[in-house]
Amino acid sequence: MPYIPHTETEIKQMLEQIGVSSVDELFADIPGEVRYSEKEPFAGKSEVEVVREIGSILRQNKTYPVFSGAGCYNHYVPAAVRSLISRSEFFTSYTQYQAELSQGFLRALFEYQTFICQITGMDVSNVSMYDWASSLGEAALMAARIKKERANIIIPKTTHPARVQVLKTYIKGADLNIIETGYSTETGQIDVEKLKNAVNDKTIMVYMESPNFFGVIDETAPTVSKIAHEAGSMFVFGTDMLSLSVLKPPADFDADIVIGDAQSLGNPVSFGGSQLGVMACKKEYVRDMPGRLVGETHDGKGRQGFVLTLQTREQHIRRQKATSNITTNHALNALASAVYLAWMGSGGLSELGSLLIKKPKEVAEKINAIKGWRAPLFDSYHFREFAAVSDNNPDMINRKLLKEGIIGGFPLKVWYPELGNAVLYCVTECCSDEDIERLLSVLKD
Amino acid sequence: MNRSRTVVLEGLWYTDEHEWTRVEGDTAVIGITDYAQRELRDVVFVELPAVGDKLTFRKDFGYVESTKAVNAIIAPVSGEVIEVNSKLEDSPELINIDPYGEGWMVKVRMSNKDELKELLDAEGYSKLMEILEK
Repeated sequence: MPYIPHTETEIKQMLEQIGVSSVDELFADIPGEVRYSEKEPFAGKSEVEVVREIGSILRQNKTYPVFSGAGCYNHYVPAAVRSLISRSEFFTSYTQYQAELSQGFLRALFEYQTFICQITGMDVSNVSMYDWASSLGEAALMAARIKKERANIIIPKTTHPARVQVLKTYIKGADLNIIETGYSTETGQIDVEKLKNAVNDKTIMVYMESPNFFGVIDETAPTVSKIAHEAGSMFVFGTDMLSLSVLKPPADFDADIVIGDAQSLGNPVSFGGSQLGVMACKKEYVRDMPGRLVGETHDGKGRQGFVLTLQTREQHIRRQKATSNITTNHALNALASAVYLAWMGSGGLSELGSLLIKKPKEVAEKINAIKGWRAPLFDSYHFREFAAVSDNNPDMINRKLLKEGIIGGFPLKVWYPELGNAVLYCVTECCSDEDIERLLSVLKD
Repeated sequence: MNRSRTVVLEGLWYTDEHEWTRVEGDTAVIGITDYAQRELRDVVFVELPAVGDKLTFRKDFGYVESTKAVNAIIAPVSGEVIEVNSKLEDSPELINIDPYGEGWMVKVRMSNKDELKELLDAEGYSKLMEILEK
């Protein structure tokens, strides 16, 4: 579509129509200090000059090694991902409602669903939600639909605290209760006894994450699943999809709903996003699942084709009785993840997964060798992240690191005051040996 | 399509939303009519309440999904569900094949038999059919 500016006459007519004297008056509600003062910053400049000026602004950006994760992970994105998702058929396309026009994208999303089913072991995956947090909120409402007479949601404190905040917002008005249960400060895993005491015939769902917020691989999962099912509750399992490259598929310990994030699969980090919410479940619960589903079918001539299916769960058909008010998904991010998984293959994935266990372990050992430091803080296996603690204030350390051009770890006291100076470090394949040496030398200082 | 006459059975009670009720003592057997199944065409899924759930007169208690539409099923009487036709889970097409027989949906213990007075008898429902099928 060409860019057609409004003429002065049109602007005047529009302003008159709404009874405003000038464009400035139209924006009077926006405080002056956040308004752009220069109306036409590049007025009268040639293309060459504009490109030069923008280039010089962009060159002030700096790329630092990142040792922070906490829900958003800096992984290498293969060039193939960007190249394929940039095709205009994908990049500029709208929602795939019309099967006649959207076979390419529908097929790609069907492949995404297939990949998610393969790595989680679940029967059905939707075409994605917004992020892990929205998946958690939707999973709670889904479980509440299935367990109609019950009201309690069990959330261990090892769950990402920001996600719990979103969950609390999601269930407002749904008459559900959140019961938070503790963790072992020794292992960083769920305190099974405390959890067991909270689970009863009022429980809708028991939720847990592994690797949890501390990067700890929580080995209580099969036990927690059993506790949930013995009480007639749903068992909902949350995980970062990349961890399933080396960890057991949650279907193996009888998860009813699996949620998580697939940002780590082919989606870059950029100001904390954009994320890719995953949701998969057992087939028996598909009618209660929110979000879109792509199904395989055939046309009148018997040729394979793809359509949005089971849409009667959705808002445009079921109105107020829909399973959710979500009417969209992160299609382009889901596509990126599908391309990433196909590109990496199972061999590439498990190689990366092993690296994400070994490399952080080595870094933790090296930090532990520094006087005054203890790492990992929790006596467990870790994936990609681990907590480390010293006598120094983590904010001070991070300021020092930033001066050296390094983005440090996440200070856990923000949400876990009981952990004092503990910092959550994240080590991915993007951290070079040199980056790690630089980190260690600042921590030694 | 061969549009033979819609079947309306004697002895049943009907709603103008096309549910039927067969009274057996205190129990009401509920389903959707021949007219309803014809309008919906191929039924692919039915969501029904569970045993023990309460139905409220004129409130919806489930839905029927066909390849053409999704429709709420409205309770012709109030009462507690005592039996659900579990065959419909795997064979929803029974609603098309035999709407007044094998396609029944729920059995309810009626809590207020006076509600039956609000329903149409076979004659009343046949008249409605005449208007709708004109």
